[in-house]
Amino acid sequence: MRDFLVVGLSHRTAPVEVRERLAVAPTDLERELREIAADSGFEEALLISTCNRVELYATSPNPLDATREAKEKLARRLGDAAGDEVLYQERGIDVVRHVFRVASSLDSLVVGEPQILGQVKEAFDAANQAGTIGTLLGRCFTQAFATAKRVRNETGIAEGTVSVSSIACELAKKIFGNLEGRRTLLLGAGEMGESAARSLRQTGTNLHVINRSEERAQALAKACDGRAVPYERLITELADADVVIASTASPNFILTPTLMKGVVRTRRHRPLFIIDIAVPRDVDPRVGNMDNVFVYDVDDLQQVAEENLAVRAREAALAERIVEDEVESFLSWRRSLELAPTIVALRRRFGQVAEEELRRALPRLEGLSESDRSVLEAMSRSMVNKLLHQPMTELKAGAGEPDGALLIDAVRRLFALAEEEAAAPEGASAQPTGEAKITQLAAATGTTGESK
Amino acid sequence: MKAGLFIATAALYAIACILYLFQLTRGSEKAPGMSGTVFVAALGAHLAFLLLETPAPGELPLADIAQILSVSSFGIGIAFLLASYRMNVTILGAFVAPLSLMLFLASGLGSSYAPVPPPVQSVMLTLHIAANVMGLVAFALAFVAGIAYLLQERLLRRRQLTGAFQRLPSLGVLDTIGLRSVLVGFPLLTFGMVTGTFWLLRSGGSQFYVSQALGLVAWAIFAGVIVLRVAAGWQGRKAAVGTMLGFLFTLLVLAGYALRAAGGSA
Repeated sequence: MRDFLVVGLSHRTAPVEVRERLAVAPTDLERELREIAADSGFEEALLISTCNRVELYATSPNPLDATREAKEKLARRLGDAAGDEVLYQERGIDVVRHVFRVASSLDSLVVGEPQILGQVKEAFDAANQAGTIGTLLGRCFTQAFATAKRVRNETGIAEGTVSVSSIACELAKKIFGNLEGRRTLLLGAGEMGESAARSLRQTGTNLHVINRSEERAQALAKACDGRAVPYERLITELADADVVIASTASPNFILTPTLMKGVVRTRRHRPLFIIDIAVPRDVDPRVGNMDNVFVYDVDDLQQVAEENLAVRAREAALAERIVEDEVESFLSWRRSLELAPTIVALRRRFGQVAEEELRRALPRLEGLSESDRSVLEAMSRSMVNKLLHQPMTELKAGAGEPDGALLIDAVRRLFALAEEEAAAPEGASAQPTGEAKITQLAAATGTTGESK
Repeated sequence: MKAGLFIATAALYAIACILYLFQLTRGSEKAPGMSGTVFVAALGAHLAFLLLETPAPGELPLADIAQILSVSSFGIGIAFLLASYRMNVTILGAFVAPLSLMLFLASGLGSSYAPVPPPVQSVMLTLHIAANVMGLVAFALAFVAGIAYLLQERLLRRRQLTGAFQRLPSLGVLDTIGLRSVLVGFPLLTFGMVTGTFWLLRSGGSQFYVSQALGLVAWAIFAGVIVLRVAAGWQGRKAAVGTMLGFLFTLLVLAGYALRAAGGSA
């Protein structure tokens, strides 16, 4: 029976030195897929390659062998024998759940980061171009995009920034509104300060770098695309800046209340945002009590990051529920594509029509004997059987073909066979629970269940 | 009909209040929700109500203090919509809607107020009232920006950066709204005061009422805020507090008129 499989590695299983050996450039995805599709037992194939994951998705009538094949393909590229440790695999409905989680950014290094959805979409487009997308992967990924959208809209998983540099930027934006043309002053040469300065520079602020060592200031200014200024001008620079990033190695406070009082007077109440990334601190905490001066130290920023991460974690639980919901809906679509229930439903639909017409016609015929009646009944039954014979044969023959699902889908739509009809097997009185449904599918496909 | 429309308008304003507050405290950043739609609906109902009040086509319903309150409430809503369209500050509805609702309800209380007697009506009076109402609307916007500024600054200083902090506009934007609104409102208020005094003298009245005194105080506060902003570079919290104080005094002026009108009719 045809089913899904995925083999791959991600930030969870492999360090970057290993991941980069498998990575495929976006421009090469299409060619790569064509090659994979050409010499493999896969019916459909799709390749996701980002800096945090490389995954090969496929469907195959023989998922067990195909998984082995896919794993060998990837392991060969990894070169040495590390393959078994870093490559993971899933089959059946677990693949669908995995796709939904990846697209919704639940499996990302930073949960809720927004890039992954675009990357998955690119991978999908490439596979479409390469012609390696069929009914199953097509439906699976389309629904993954819908799931990601739901997660984004219905949960706060992407709200709040989680890195110290970007939190500093967000805060600056919340204080000044527009950062374009504002001035950042980087004081000192700490690594974290440099990274925060870079982020602020990217938002369009001008950057001035000041350091006791003129040389160091020059080097930093060059690296961050800023301007070095001599240390003697500290006071005037402080008076002109909008954001100050303090990250010196000084053991004492550099920005003391006495010094800042003079600065604030020259600033004429313009707001000043001071980010104190240095440990030990560069800014006397009392400076933060001054009017229109806002001081955040490294602990404050870290705490914001942690709070935001906690919010995301809480929202992720909500997102997982949405994913399960969508997996359930995918299952019921998938089940509707199973051959047996479709045949049953088709027979039942035709039988119902024949029976109804007979019931309406019989009372209008007068003087029918019991045997006349049974002749009519037999006739209607045989008409149904004859009419259904050809479609049934085609269905049974086509179900094994790659496009079988398409055929079944077409039949279900042509004769308006609802998905619920397929879900309730004949004679079953109660709707099976989610658990039961999954095992039902597992039984039907024979491939879900155990993985890894 | 009129009573029904009044209740409907008040109810819509109240629902908008709740939706905006909900949006401010726990809404998702991306889904703007229904609050804006409900607020616009409230303004629509309010407009219909005002049209019913209009004495004759082309005339403004500014005959008594109740109508002035009602028109002010409506004007604040419209000014807010314009501001939120231009500066992307829809979340300020959380403060605008309660203010609109309050003024609208207050206008309902005043149905028994005695209108200005016909002999003292004049073009000057209409101009005086219109200028003051527009000034009040501008100051109301400045007041709302001031509240939001103080709240936002408090959240920033206390490091409560999730929730409302994310949804409120930046301090810079709020300060700009406060400054611009006062700059628009101040000439209107000045014009209103001059015409008011002129009209008062011409109509033969020479009594100096409490309202006029309060109006002078409000005018002085706004003048001070503008001078300090321009000359001394005042920004942020102090400017916001000054602006809010000025607006409270303009509200007191209205309250003074309302009380006197009520007293006069009793």
